[in-house]
Amino acid sequence: MKILLRTPLIALLLIFAPAIVTKAQDSRIQLSSLDHLAAKAKQTVDVNIDERLIRISTKFLSDDDADEKKIKEVVNGVKGIYVKSFEFDNDGEFSAADVETIRTQLRGPGWTRLVGVTSKKDGNLEVYLLLTGDKVAGLAVLHTDDRELTVVNIVGPVDLDKLAQLDGQLGIPDLGIEPQKPKAKKDEQ
Amino acid sequence: MKIKILIATLLFMFASIAVHAKDDDFKSVVKMIEQFYGVKHQGIPFLAKAGMKVATTAARIKGGEARRIAEAGSIKLAVFENQDFDGDFTKFRTSLNGALTATWMPLIQTLSATTQDQNYIFLREAGDKFNVLVITITSRDATVVQVNLSRKNLALLLKDPEGTGKSITEEATIIDQE
Repeated sequence: MKILLRTPLIALLLIFAPAIVTKAQDSRIQLSSLDHLAAKAKQTVDVNIDERLIRISTKFLSDDDADEKKIKEVVNGVKGIYVKSFEFDNDGEFSAADVETIRTQLRGPGWTRLVGVTSKKDGNLEVYLLLTGDKVAGLAVLHTDDRELTVVNIVGPVDLDKLAQLDGQLGIPDLGIEPQKPKAKKDEQ
Repeated sequence: MKIKILIATLLFMFASIAVHAKDDDFKSVVKMIEQFYGVKHQGIPFLAKAGMKVATTAARIKGGEARRIAEAGSIKLAVFENQDFDGDFTKFRTSLNGALTATWMPLIQTLSATTQDQNYIFLREAGDKFNVLVITITSRDATVVQVNLSRKNLALLLKDPEGTGKSITEEATIIDQE
């Protein structure tokens, strides 16, 4: 009887365990909770550059052409770039709860908020990295203003320089991201 | 032997249906717009007689340095002019994505609740080229364009999806006028 009970349990665990592990390590955040904002936003931008498209880009784009090379370099190694951006006519058209649906995910295991990243634009900029061991597995940017909400999610290994390169490219809104450079050390004599 | 023939026939039929479905996505989108908004697309000869807006666009573009993005002979175009596109665009968007995302990659979508403008760009691999489907809907007009894109222009599309999407639509209307 015990074996009979245990078998379906083991089967269930076998089915769901890989999914749970994948979910925990996946740096793709769910942005669909924001979709309802499109109904009242002055401008909604939704960019989806998934792994298929990145694979195509790296396969077909040439290193000989400057334009193609630049795009290839930017997307190389990345597994996905997802953006949702909303711009409103009036203040307060999105709620703290809307933003919280994103922040909750970024408080999950592995995510770390980066300090020292600023934006030339007004508003609040938050940058998060997903670390697996000592490697960066993903990045998320949350930019909020009274009339604007933007989330950028890059899946896969990425650094801040690459993020700054992507700013205003590939349909990603220009967030004016400026990674702060470390202060120059005084010459030791 | 009969079973083998039957299986081969069935496989051939399934393959044909799959190819047919893939090829008909352009028509499906046009039909979807017609059904959702209760509008009808116009044939190009009708539009030419009506002295449509796209002709003005064509003239404007021709004045400048027009760069051809779409591959010659690859353009499929459907135009809807001077009709009402009243409807919940979020529902239309859901239906469109539901119908296309199995075979097409949604690259960029821009929407406006203020102006009711909708722009969609979908992409799919087609051998050594790419098919691009650009759908533009405003409160009074709409355009559906499907073109083949070379590798070089794929880079252009990825770099500036919105701008290149607009150029594809404008170019398609010019070429059909020529």
